[in-house]
Amino acid sequence: MFVYEKKLQYPVRIKNPNPAMAKYIITQYGGPDGELGASLRYLSQRYSMPYPEVKAILTDIGVEELGHLEMVGTIVHQLTRNMTVEQVEKAGFQDYFVDHTAGVYAQAAAGWPYNAASFAVKGDVIADLSEDMGAEQKARVTYDNILRMADDPDVIDAIRFLREREVVHFQRFGEAMGIATSRMDQRNVYAVNPAFDKTK
Amino acid sequence: MQNNESCTYKEGPLPSCAPLAVPMVAAQQSSEPAYDSADALVKGTLFPGLDLPFMDYVASCPIENTPLAELMALDFVCQELALYLDTHPDDKEAFKSWKSFTALAKEGRKRYVEMCGPVTRSDTAMFDSWVWPEDPWPWNAGGKAGKK
Repeated sequence: MFVYEKKLQYPVRIKNPNPAMAKYIITQYGGPDGELGASLRYLSQRYSMPYPEVKAILTDIGVEELGHLEMVGTIVHQLTRNMTVEQVEKAGFQDYFVDHTAGVYAQAAAGWPYNAASFAVKGDVIADLSEDMGAEQKARVTYDNILRMADDPDVIDAIRFLREREVVHFQRFGEAMGIATSRMDQRNVYAVNPAFDKTK
Repeated sequence: MQNNESCTYKEGPLPSCAPLAVPMVAAQQSSEPAYDSADALVKGTLFPGLDLPFMDYVASCPIENTPLAELMALDFVCQELALYLDTHPDDKEAFKSWKSFTALAKEGRKRYVEMCGPVTRSDTAMFDSWVWPEDPWPWNAGGKAGKK
């Protein structure tokens, strides 16, 4: 069960509309390495995970990612609120605008709607945790690339925060991998998949 | 979690002989040193050892000193310590610290709710009427609906 908190994890307060920036930041809402995929990945991987500490970290990071989804949605909303049709045209935002007006839709920067194929649930402890570490790195790079292009300090500030969270989450998944593999057969951690095979 | 005193807070120990084909990330050794709560929120981590910014993108402007920012900062420290504890459940110092920040966040939440309105829907029980739907919602900051 989830309880909603009527606040963001970190303040987002963008003064000026800028649809050109919204056009690429939307990718962290519904793109291949975005926050929607992140939360679904971790919250879905939990069910087959045999180790309590790893269930906890997947839950706690998965829920935080939902908070990040709300932050990215807020950034896109604030970059597109009060924009004029003239600004839409000048920014090359017509493709998005014609379908979604100033709404926030889960899509990648190139326009593809959110696709669950952008994340995996393999039902294997080492494969899933390796995926999670890779996912945090890919999201980190996406934020790096956004920082290379964004020129509004209000936007940069929130993106910088989100990027740093990816670094922290990578560390925790790395530690979770250490906990998980320490409980496996030390002669061959690949001998069985403890998320499926019965082990003593 | 094995500790190694020759590692700084930016490092963690790894076995001298490690198995092949197993990914390894050095474990954080301690929940100390830590930033204070306002700094932690601005930096995006409680832990200086994990504070690894891209290029020179460090926080340029401090967050406004409001009851909301104060609550965000306390909740953020609780979240950071919780993630740390998930992978370090036997760290008694970190657990003590999480307990004291959780108590502070609870007080901060009460102050915020009294001044600004409900954070969770159940907070609405402290009010005389159904104020839950009232603006601003979190995405409204700085906009028309955010003015209050």
